[in-house]
Amino acid sequence: MGYVAGVDVGSTQTKAVILDEKRHVVARAVVDTGSNVARAADRVIEAALAQGSLSPSQLSYVVGTGYGRFRVGVGQEQITEISCHAKGIAHVNPAVRTVIDIGGQDAKAIRLGEDGAVADFVMNDKCAAGTGRFLANAAEVLQLGLDEIGPRSLNAARPVRLSTVCTVFVESDILSHLARGRTVENILAGVHRAVATRVVALARRVGIEPIVALTGGVARNIGMVEALEAQLNVRLFVASDAHFMGALGAALFAWERAQGRAFAVKDQ
Amino acid sequence: MVSEVPNTYQGAMHARQKDLMQDYQQALARSAAGDGPPAVYLLVSGNPVELIHAFGLLPVFPEIQALQRAVRHESLPLIQEAEARGYSTDNCAYVKTDIGAWYRYSRSPSPTVPPPGLLLANYVGCQVYWQWWEQLEDFSHAPLYLLDVPFSRSRDGLPTPDDIAYVVRQLRELIPILERLSGRRYDPDRLRQVLQLSRETEELWSRIKWLAARDPAPFDAYFDAATLMAPLYVLRGTAAGRDYFQTVWTELEARQKAGQGPLERENFRLVIDGPPPWPYLRAFRDMFARWGAVFVASTYSGVGGLWEFGFRHQPDDPLTTLATHMLTWNVPNQNLRQRYDLLSRYLREWHGEGLVIHAVKSCRLFSSGHGDMREYFAKTLKVPTLLIESDLADPRYFSPAQMRTRIDAFMESLISSRLGRDAIS
Repeated sequence: MGYVAGVDVGSTQTKAVILDEKRHVVARAVVDTGSNVARAADRVIEAALAQGSLSPSQLSYVVGTGYGRFRVGVGQEQITEISCHAKGIAHVNPAVRTVIDIGGQDAKAIRLGEDGAVADFVMNDKCAAGTGRFLANAAEVLQLGLDEIGPRSLNAARPVRLSTVCTVFVESDILSHLARGRTVENILAGVHRAVATRVVALARRVGIEPIVALTGGVARNIGMVEALEAQLNVRLFVASDAHFMGALGAALFAWERAQGRAFAVKDQ
Repeated sequence: MVSEVPNTYQGAMHARQKDLMQDYQQALARSAAGDGPPAVYLLVSGNPVELIHAFGLLPVFPEIQALQRAVRHESLPLIQEAEARGYSTDNCAYVKTDIGAWYRYSRSPSPTVPPPGLLLANYVGCQVYWQWWEQLEDFSHAPLYLLDVPFSRSRDGLPTPDDIAYVVRQLRELIPILERLSGRRYDPDRLRQVLQLSRETEELWSRIKWLAARDPAPFDAYFDAATLMAPLYVLRGTAAGRDYFQTVWTELEARQKAGQGPLERENFRLVIDGPPPWPYLRAFRDMFARWGAVFVASTYSGVGGLWEFGFRHQPDDPLTTLATHMLTWNVPNQNLRQRYDLLSRYLREWHGEGLVIHAVKSCRLFSSGHGDMREYFAKTLKVPTLLIESDLADPRYFSPAQMRTRIDAFMESLISSRLGRDAIS
């Protein structure tokens, strides 16, 4: 059957995972999505193929996921990121029952059934509060890199309390704390707490059942992991490739299709 | 990937509806031109349209006018007109569509709709609605009658004798106003005849709704039922209305027996709470149709009246029966516990596999409590439940990509749980 791929076109980054016949990850790649969504999907596939020293003809099935899933030119099928994150995490750790996924523009909580299938899910509304965008804006105001804010937040002695979780108003909130002489670390800890509060409220709507996994790009932020753990009072399961979970799930669906296992209701 | 084609069934019922609604529009246009009976503006919720017909007056439902504008993509400029005059962005989009239209046309909301001879605020569960009617009073100088219908608050949801007496007394007060407007004396026998026709229509409508409990459902009890609501509210109590629903019943029953539904194939049977997003009606329908999902029951189709559980107008006691309908037998005047019971019955007796809750920004009455409703059905009753949000008339609150992701994920989860059950068995 050859190889299969999953492409997760997110608002900030586009990820691809290629699996072999035994469902081993043979290549993965990530590119910035940018303004040309279709091009990002093409580029990430090219990068993943190059990494695995494969040619396009060796891919027998490709599934697209993420908000740009309909723009994956080589994709034979589109499956939502909710199903794909669930699929990916259930493969990596079948004991996970709750998935919190924080991406660039959205946050979602997914409850998994015993069989690893999606039992319930909720997503944030048309508001970027509690998403990666909120953290990115905060980093920008403080003139820090996204990879710096998490570790620095852990050094806070007295985290500030932000008056808003609004991604637009966070800037003036941060500036006012700076004006009052609060340290960058204390402000960053407040920023992470604010996101965690919002995300935990979302997760409570599906019911938080251990093991709880964190996926999506924000899972790479240690400050966010700790802020969530503090509020949930549980240890989070964070896979080493947590931000590839959607692409991995899409690739696993692609593998099932290549095996002739259909998802579509018509074929049941 | 599933991709069901919605069938484009057009039968005698559709042709007849077109004619009837055209006749009604023409009657409105004639009245607007000064030739015809005066218009009574009333609200859909538990409407007493029978009383209007008994006096030979013309019923006008501004909510229906507003939703028709939304379907035709005409609502946004009118909403913005109202907002420019100071109406809040949080205000109901039906109200703003209508108010914007009044600002545009000044004498009435449209050159082909007559100004009101009477503003009958027959539903007071929504405070924004009274204020809407007060604004219309200000525009039109027509008399306003606020019919205070107490909200359902007893444990069993049934009205108390005092509630009924209170509403009947107001209906008695209303009668001389209708006499003056129509120039006709109140004739209880005439009202009984109208109620008898209503009763026959209600019997047919109830049977039609129960058809959707069968497998397959011969029509979509949300999208198709919504198109039947205009004749149900405007023509209930007339012979033309009764005959029309006879046609609908005959046709849909035949389709059901032939195994024909609104889609090529019925893969999923769902129940839905909340009004449709009118400006995106087609797109919204397609998001479900492509999965082969049919709504077998909806609370929205019970806004004007709930007849599928046995209530019928009783011609013997005209005013009491009108009061009972307004107090109890319509979805908006029922309490949240009754709504839960109603949805549970729809899921059970209409064989729904999942529940979709469509919260709308415009209507707090319909949408407040939707978060709790989701919890109750998803966690307590373990029914797959999807909560989505947009608006009934304001297109700015409908985000197609986000809506589709949520609906697709929900349908995927229904499939996964079916596959899981199969794997277990």
